[in-house]
Amino acid sequence: MPKHIVRLLLLLAGFAIVAITVRNHVVDKSFYKIGHYRADAVAEIAQDKPKFQGSASCESCHAVQFTAWSKSIHHSTDVGKVVKCEVCHGPGGGRDPDPGYVHAATGPVHPVNLKLAVPTDSRTTCGVCHEQIAARPLQQRQVVINDHAGTQQCTLCHDAHSPQTFNGSLVATAAPGNAVAGKSKAGACAACHGAAGITNASLPGPTLAGQNQAYLAAALTAYKTGKRSNPIMTGMAATVNSADINNITSYFSSLRCETSASIAAQAAAARKAGAAMCTNCHGTNGVSTSSSWPNLAGQSKDYIAAALKSYAGGQRSNVIMTTLAKSLSEPEIDKVAAYYAGATCK
Amino acid sequence: MDEKEKLEKQQAGRRAFLGCLGGAVAGGAVAVTAGSVLPKQALAAAATTPESPPAPAAKAYDPTKHKWAFGVDATKCIGCLRCVEACKLENEVALDAHHFRTWVERYVYLDGEDTPHVDSQADPVNIAAAGTERDYRFSNRYKDEKVDKAFFVPKLCNHCTHPACVQVCPTGATFKTEDGAVVIDHTYCIGCQYCVQACPYGARFFNPEKRVTDKCTWCYHRITKGLMPACVEVCPVSARVFGDRNDKESTISKFLADNRVEVLKPETGNAPNVFYVGIDKDVS
Repeated sequence: MPKHIVRLLLLLAGFAIVAITVRNHVVDKSFYKIGHYRADAVAEIAQDKPKFQGSASCESCHAVQFTAWSKSIHHSTDVGKVVKCEVCHGPGGGRDPDPGYVHAATGPVHPVNLKLAVPTDSRTTCGVCHEQIAARPLQQRQVVINDHAGTQQCTLCHDAHSPQTFNGSLVATAAPGNAVAGKSKAGACAACHGAAGITNASLPGPTLAGQNQAYLAAALTAYKTGKRSNPIMTGMAATVNSADINNITSYFSSLRCETSASIAAQAAAARKAGAAMCTNCHGTNGVSTSSSWPNLAGQSKDYIAAALKSYAGGQRSNVIMTTLAKSLSEPEIDKVAAYYAGATCK
Repeated sequence: MDEKEKLEKQQAGRRAFLGCLGGAVAGGAVAVTAGSVLPKQALAAAATTPESPPAPAAKAYDPTKHKWAFGVDATKCIGCLRCVEACKLENEVALDAHHFRTWVERYVYLDGEDTPHVDSQADPVNIAAAGTERDYRFSNRYKDEKVDKAFFVPKLCNHCTHPACVQVCPTGATFKTEDGAVVIDHTYCIGCQYCVQACPYGARFFNPEKRVTDKCTWCYHRITKGLMPACVEVCPVSARVFGDRNDKESTISKFLADNRVEVLKPETGNAPNVFYVGIDKDVS
């Protein structure tokens, strides 16, 4: 055989030996088991430890918060809007602090050796989803934070787990009473609150016409129990029983008090007057967004200003109103009062 | 149809040709690649010795019984970026603003303009709004502009049916599992980054810590345990859905049945398995 053919055959044999050796000893046994890859790698990748544990794992220790959350708007399964615990508090399983990222299968787990964060800056935490920015779809509830909250935290008013629940026992309810019976009992009220429940500058009391019954009942009850005090009202409230309270408040609530200016114009004026954060609860036109809170339409400027000052000074107390009133300067209080006093009764 | 048949014939021809050629070339090719792959293969071999078998939970999972798919409803996305943060934490991706397995883009059409302004959480303005590179926020940068139309588009690896990245991988390190996920075997990856360039969606990146390529795995370690991927788990508005197409009652099967969906860059022939609702002509 010619020499060059022998060399070629030897070379080919050498290649074959190397190839077979590599195939048998270096290439992983599971390579080509399924396809052109190492089949064992699939199980290895699947081995990593899940870090997000799911909300169900929180329930056993945090039952109160879990219950509040699961009944709230943050758990609207019907429209798929579910803000799970770990969205705000972070994953229940942590990443391993050791750098190099080779510890995917290990890492601390709450509650044993991992403490989860409780967000303190709710303006940032809530703003992540609720700040009004371009591209956020309209069905998402969003606010211009500075207009809506001034400089306050969201959690001043909103419960973080159930944001439509408002802090500070602000939810007032009252049984509907008999307005006719209430009218007969309300004769004494007219001296300060005006005939038909509408005051004027010469009378000391606030306008009661059209006011939310639940709010009025709560106020009258507060005078009776001593939670609020006023030289005249404390004495007056002592003379009525709870049925009277329901009847009298129903009577005043049934009286008409309508606002005059259009809502859009009012909203612009409210922003100008620095009353934007008041409008969340008391409305742009002075009609409150919940019956638990008082309408401000038809109230005198002096009465609103005096109420704000007594919240700031501590004579009246309410978690939200105290904080908000303290954040206003005296000229700002006057501006807000003037704005709402402009929403007069017809 | 003709086009498709032609393509299939072409591919079949190429395969047959390579098959013939393979026998002759394989020996040489393996010998050539062996030098560079050797240390990693040795490592892999060490990791899979009988002393350290894979976890039993992973064994109980049968990949041939599932066909995973992902859905994105862009009309629901609120751009909160919780998915981006969750992915980083779940998958131990580098905590900076330049490496992401999933991300969210914002398309904003200003009044009188035909082309959108596109930014993501990695945009310097948005990093500045977040304060740190470890927090993710969209800044309110268009608040003083007149915006005609704007929306968010969450993006991730499309786990294509014909993935270009798998085709170009020289070591068999990236592959499509039997249940449909495109994943990377980090012990076989040599960090050549051909796949990073091959991916038409920019879904892959080079992980500077591990010196390998990295990408979304649909949280393969979670889905094989019956959990949702981390981004789906935390999405507060259900803009992301995931599930098994073999299960007709699954969220994804219903998503695909109830919506007219589209995929990104269908012209590339990769046949993505991430399906979109509510995106626009300029999204690619």
